[in-house]
Amino acid sequence: MTNSELIAKLNNLKSIDPDQKWLESNRELLLSQVSNSGAETLSTWRVIFINVSSVMKSAAQPVYALGAFVLLLLTGSLFSGQLLASTKPNDSLYIARILSEKVKLNTTFDSTARNRMEMKFASSHAQDITAVLADPAFNNEENKDQVAKLNNSFSEEVNTVKESISRLNAAIVPAAKTGDEVVIADSSKDAQGIQVADGSALNAAVATIAASAQPAISATATLVVPAGMNLKATSAEIAASSTEIAEPTAADKMIDEAIQLFSSKDYEKASDKLKEVSETIK
Amino acid sequence: MSINLVRKFKDKQTLSKLKSRDKEAFIRVYDDNVKDIHRFVYFKIGSREEADDLTSMIFLKAWNHIQNKTLENAKTLRALLYKIARNAIVDYYRETGNKVTASLDDEENRIEIIDEAENPQERLDRAADLELIKAKLPFLKEEYREIIIMKFINDLSLEEIAEISEKSKGNIRVLLHRALNALRELVEQDAKKN
Repeated sequence: MTNSELIAKLNNLKSIDPDQKWLESNRELLLSQVSNSGAETLSTWRVIFINVSSVMKSAAQPVYALGAFVLLLLTGSLFSGQLLASTKPNDSLYIARILSEKVKLNTTFDSTARNRMEMKFASSHAQDITAVLADPAFNNEENKDQVAKLNNSFSEEVNTVKESISRLNAAIVPAAKTGDEVVIADSSKDAQGIQVADGSALNAAVATIAASAQPAISATATLVVPAGMNLKATSAEIAASSTEIAEPTAADKMIDEAIQLFSSKDYEKASDKLKEVSETIK
Repeated sequence: MSINLVRKFKDKQTLSKLKSRDKEAFIRVYDDNVKDIHRFVYFKIGSREEADDLTSMIFLKAWNHIQNKTLENAKTLRALLYKIARNAIVDYYRETGNKVTASLDDEENRIEIIDEAENPQERLDRAADLELIKAKLPFLKEEYREIIIMKFINDLSLEEIAEISEKSKGNIRVLLHRALNALRELVEQDAKKN
């Protein structure tokens, strides 16, 4: 006999039940005994309360754990950013701030945005360093080593700001150059090979075409004029880009001034200069 | 998982109602479990009359335990009932001063299973098999008998058996294996004799 055969036979013993009459009489007997000991029928409100509390109790482990996790995530994301942003280089949480910033940088895929963010972070670090060094309670003989480290960190951060600005500059210049020549993207104009250098050249071209050409080309010319207006707008954008290109140069000068102020231990003014750099880049 | 959650909810609900002295909940617990508990007691002590009395007492004790908030360590209501049943059987043995090792089989309690699909010969063979198993169960070690009843007759899960017996699941698996082997040997010995 195999085990499975034996188990099958054992399963058949489930058919052995108590006598039905005994079951019923015992049921009545127990009910009366229980009633005598204070059992009652519960009110509807009591039943509802029990049902709700049973749901809470039975769902306790998975649901409460999930709720706590979600709450932790929410509060963490809401408050940790603010909390970390306010940490200073001499705080124990400063490393967490650096890590969170690195995560942000590594998860930003647009190179311009990343450069801006990197510049902003480095500038903020440099400002924090000046703020810490401006505090006489910290900047004293006791913390000589830490002060030296912060001085080095300041140089590194300022270099990072400079590098970020130069990368931003390099990214803006080619974009601005492509704006010098505007190709009209209308298919009918492409067929005629019309390319316009800038707003005034365009108007001259339009005038030439309108004077000499056939009626069909005149019609095309009327279409070109409104496009010329767009080109004027593009010219305005080019001008704006030129200002942007000019700003990093000014920012470079401001950074140099900040470095000089920092070297002369005028931390507050150095910090103000760095703020100006940030605002200029914005 | 959802089935477990529903079962857990129902168990908590019933237990809360019982704590609030709800007699309807008590009767529901009785209707749901009386046959299993009676079978458990019957196969353990071997007497139908004694099993009737003990089963009745077990349900009353369960009610009192819930009202007095004793035996709160049971995770489920079913485990609570089985724990009380085990204790009641131990008390019974202590009072009577003997353990039942004789056959459960008697003329009054012959098993009658009627299955229309079976022919008379098959039915007779099956009844004979059952009688054989029923007769051999009392000769098993107490521990083996208990675990076989809970697992293969009353369909308790390994977790429930482990909780009732206060043993680990691994321990229960080993015991089940040994118990089945011991029962098979008894049945095969009997077959060789015949």
